[in-house]
Amino acid sequence: PPKKKLGHPSELPPEPAPDYEGDESFLRRVHHVLLEVEVLEGVLQCPDSGRRFPISRGIPNMLLSEEE
Amino acid sequence: MEHEAAQLEKQHVHSVYENTAAYFNDLQSKAWPRVRNFLLEQKPGSLVADIGCGTGKYLSVNSQVYNLGCDYCGPLVEIARKRGDEVLVCDNLNLPFRDQCFNAVISIGVIHHFSTKQRRIKAIKEMARVLIPGGQMMIYVWAMEQKNRRFEKQDVFVPWNKALCSRHFSESSQSGDKGEFVHAVKSRDVHPAQLVISDCSYQTSLQPETDPKHSHNTDHCLSRACCMKISEEENRFYSALGRSFRSWFFSRSLDESALRKQTDKTKPPKNAGEWANSTLPIQHSRRCSLDLGHHGALLKEQSLDDDDVFVESLPLKKTQWSPAIDALKDLSLNGGHQSVARGRSEEASFMNGPAEDRDYSCGCNKDGAGKSNASKFFKRTSTADSTDSALDSAVSVGDQTDATLDAQAFMRYYHVFREGELCSLVEENVPELQILSSCYDHGNWCIVAEKRG
Repeated sequence: PPKKKLGHPSELPPEPAPDYEGDESFLRRVHHVLLEVEVLEGVLQCPDSGRRFPISRGIPNMLLSEEE
Repeated sequence: MEHEAAQLEKQHVHSVYENTAAYFNDLQSKAWPRVRNFLLEQKPGSLVADIGCGTGKYLSVNSQVYNLGCDYCGPLVEIARKRGDEVLVCDNLNLPFRDQCFNAVISIGVIHHFSTKQRRIKAIKEMARVLIPGGQMMIYVWAMEQKNRRFEKQDVFVPWNKALCSRHFSESSQSGDKGEFVHAVKSRDVHPAQLVISDCSYQTSLQPETDPKHSHNTDHCLSRACCMKISEEENRFYSALGRSFRSWFFSRSLDESALRKQTDKTKPPKNAGEWANSTLPIQHSRRCSLDLGHHGALLKEQSLDDDDVFVESLPLKKTQWSPAIDALKDLSLNGGHQSVARGRSEEASFMNGPAEDRDYSCGCNKDGAGKSNASKFFKRTSTADSTDSALDSAVSVGDQTDATLDAQAFMRYYHVFREGELCSLVEENVPELQILSSCYDHGNWCIVAEKRG
């Protein structure tokens, strides 16, 4: 799934810890972010290229332009 | 070629779906059982992608898995989104997903919209890329060989009659034919990719549809735009049109065009003769025997009750031919490859899908009377034009006519697949996939393949 970066950097570590599967508190936070948070208006940014993809009415638009 | 292909798809796939999305109703299109089963077999917790999800009818089949839908068409995924599905807009040829992240992928009625072999391969390779090793994908594409009949060419345009869904129709009273027609249609399932024009023309219930689940003829009813009053006269016209209109036109394959361009630049206008002599799309009615070769055996196994990409035809009353013919006489077609159609006063099928072309003269010639009344409303012209693009050689139905028919604006491009073509395409070009099974289902060729590794 597309990589997401929410405005809550304190809530999640940049990488899962090696034993993340047993870390219930971590799992709950990830679950929340992945399945309970919906971005309605916003942007997805590619960490490599910096290209920004708009999210509108809850739908990301990942189409590239002709030149890209 | 890439640019031409993209342009063709832009005009004859994306733009059509965008403009007609508002008229889709999920009630209209049923999930194919085989696809449902494929989804239901996935392990709980799986991540499943529906590439080309449209309005998302497969996204809620299995609530034990995480379903993600995507489609090129924004308006269609908006409909899915409203039902709470997770969807996004993207291009099958450039999926915005990491390698190997999905447990399963489905592609139902999508690949046939790509206008070149290379693009179809790329679409499949992209889906294979995002599949984990051991993950499976299911692909459905329209078959050239339909139950009892087949397309004559593989690259076709299927019109979408926008006018019938227009909001401009005026008030009207009921027409007597409707009940019978609608009743017959109700018992049929409709191919999800198909707009049933006759339903529009028969919707005379005057209440604007506010309840999406209202039962009156909604099995095949389009969304509220469809439940409109239309004038008696328009209704007769469209019903006749719907029944009799041979709803598809041929295009030259872009692949073929490119090849021809290289070998054949100064082709003299003996094209005119060639086209005239080349296969006039003569289709046989159900009553005639079809020469499908050994394929015939395959199709005969299909139960006649099976749903089909076609809606079965209804007998057409002769009196209703006249308005259709007169109006269609005005249609003038310009340029390119056009097909000749002749009306029959009986048993014409009306459908806006891969319709079997009964308007063409049948070898059995059962209805001479019908033929004499019908007029040729398309003219076959030469394709001596130097341009080889499928777009240019496609039929364009005029704005130069009085008819409100707007077929040109909404012609959907399809490359229909021959038996074995999809398998060969994968076997020869997508080594990362291993085909597990393949079959014919409801007018589609279907394969299930697994990502090696």
